[in-house]
Amino acid sequence: MKPMTATSAVSESSAQPIRASRVAGWPFRSVLIANRGEIAVRILRSVQKLGLEGIVVYHAADRAAPAVRLADRAIEISGSTPVAAYLDAAQILAAAKASGAGAIHPGYGFLSENAAFAQAVADAGLAFVGPTPQQIELMGDKVRARAFVEQGGFPVAPSAIEDDDPSTFVERARRVPLPLLIKPAAGGGGKGMRIVRDLAVLESEIERARSEGQRYFGDGRLYVERYIENPRHIEVQVLGDSHGNVVHLFERECSVQRRFQKIVEETPSPALTPELRARICETAAGIARKAGYRNAGTVEFIFGQGAGPDNAGGIGNVEFYFLEMNTRLQVEHPVTEEITGKDLVFEQLRIAAGEALGYAQADVVSHGHAIEFRIYAEDPARGYTPTTGPVLCLREAQGPGVRVDSGIVEGQDVTAAFDPMLAKLIVSGRDRAEAMARADAALAQTVLLGCQTNIAFLRRLLNHPAFVDGQVHTGFLDAHPEIAAEPALDPDRLHRLLAAAALSIRPLRDGADRVPALHAAIGGWRNA
Amino acid sequence: MHHAFKLGEAEHDIELSRSTGGYRLHVGGRSIAVDLVALPGGNLMLSTDGRCEPVVIAQRGDSVFVHLDGAAYQLDYEHPLDRLAQQTQGAAADSVRAPMPGSVIAVAVKPGDTVKRGDTLLVMESMKMETTIAAPRDGVVAAVHFGAGQTFDRDALLLELQIETPA
Repeated sequence: MKPMTATSAVSESSAQPIRASRVAGWPFRSVLIANRGEIAVRILRSVQKLGLEGIVVYHAADRAAPAVRLADRAIEISGSTPVAAYLDAAQILAAAKASGAGAIHPGYGFLSENAAFAQAVADAGLAFVGPTPQQIELMGDKVRARAFVEQGGFPVAPSAIEDDDPSTFVERARRVPLPLLIKPAAGGGGKGMRIVRDLAVLESEIERARSEGQRYFGDGRLYVERYIENPRHIEVQVLGDSHGNVVHLFERECSVQRRFQKIVEETPSPALTPELRARICETAAGIARKAGYRNAGTVEFIFGQGAGPDNAGGIGNVEFYFLEMNTRLQVEHPVTEEITGKDLVFEQLRIAAGEALGYAQADVVSHGHAIEFRIYAEDPARGYTPTTGPVLCLREAQGPGVRVDSGIVEGQDVTAAFDPMLAKLIVSGRDRAEAMARADAALAQTVLLGCQTNIAFLRRLLNHPAFVDGQVHTGFLDAHPEIAAEPALDPDRLHRLLAAAALSIRPLRDGADRVPALHAAIGGWRNA
Repeated sequence: MHHAFKLGEAEHDIELSRSTGGYRLHVGGRSIAVDLVALPGGNLMLSTDGRCEPVVIAQRGDSVFVHLDGAAYQLDYEHPLDRLAQQTQGAAADSVRAPMPGSVIAVAVKPGDTVKRGDTLLVMESMKMETTIAAPRDGVVAAVHFGAGQTFDRDALLLELQIETPA
């Protein structure tokens, strides 16, 4: 059985050739990857392609994972839970030192946006494949980040920040135009966020958001901002080096979400005119430039229809505002790689090695269209709740424009210990229509048996008229629960499934075989 | 002999018999010519009523996982004896099961506690969602099977209420 692994970091057709001699002058010869799953595999590919040594750390629960097998070296780490092991900065740093690693790549999640970890890595004399600790701190604090962006003259949504004056916070929150959104100041990933449409519940919702913020982040400070109805989530990929050069690598539309988490991402965004595309991308690059940003990063915007207040960043009847900046590689980075031909992990490593970007904005060109589908172990019909089970059979999609970034192998168990994302299917084409047609075929071709996934749901979503038209927003799936619902089985398909199942259950088939065909046939006549 | 498969929430009764060319599936008053043949290379070909199509099938215990026509399905073979046992079993409201896999954040009750319908029994977390497990009826807690920090799969037995005997 063939293990499912990333087919390529970037499609061969669009990849820049990378040669091992590229790294001759770099200050590190080996990279420790402080992550797991598909992203550990993805990072390993670029590291090893460069002729660098790829080292991974892993918890025992991941012993069978492809990253552990593909790595040049794998070091086991432990923790009170599997997730705790990957969050244990001291243990991972000790593993890096013991293994002689010259650099640490944190991937996404876990320690990727932990300023203290980035500092500790630097203090240990290792290269951190990421931004400076100060940049992580600035962008990790939503309140400070917002103020920083606003001071630069970039668009931010009307809001009330608790820290400005806690005693008047509720009063100021009341003045933000409804509906409004309450967010933990230290938040991320949708945790603790609450939408308020009625001022009567404002105070009770503030208290709930505060307790969630306290529990998830150990920080109960909040802020409130204008909530844009039917907003789109559009983000821009940026790259900055340690010599002050910043470019953008165009936008990604990530509006299809469930529970504030992305499911499908694509680029270019179907919502943007060329003029708006240039405006939003330049805004992102401007923010990164103001921060002196070093590393790959993503500037997220909320994008709405309808004339905004004076400081809205849009043109005509659209508005967009800075949401936050993620100071790391994103889950959805592959779509950007597919349309620009840039290997983002390679770019991150070059930047961490101290190289200058070596190209200008005009050299970054967007070709075609790419869409990413996150394959989750979850049951969309049951509120997208996670599912568990063994991966009994796994066959990945293949074909022109098809890329699979996966962190699972056949025989592995999907457990509740980690995030339910199993793999990503990235499909590209000359235009959106070609990418969508290839995506439908690729989703149908993908076989994962033993643990329920959202693959059939992704096909229904892809073929929904609103998605086909590019008319989506972050509340799209809530507004269309029929996409998540299990469709009724037609009798014909039911009979085919029952036939397949009946002929697979040994005692059942043997029972039928015990009655010879001739007798069965005669029996049939007799009954007729 | 009658057999049954569960697909989602629905149960389907079937019979399978031999025919000259393969098998016949008897379902819902119909009889359909069917066969499942292994092709060179390990792929399977399903034929139903003369229509042939490739399928991928994996099996674990009594669960059959089928990838057919671009989608995956799970069919669970129901043993005749198990079905009988289920039909004679009492109220399910005595056991409180996990609606999804996750971990326990806090347990609000202990064995012997009297609870009212809707009272919080346990707070669980699944990924980034927090869910409160409430008492399905008035009663007395008989057993608590998980403590804070422990993880569980979907349908795991979290708590039990004392079985109520009619007065």
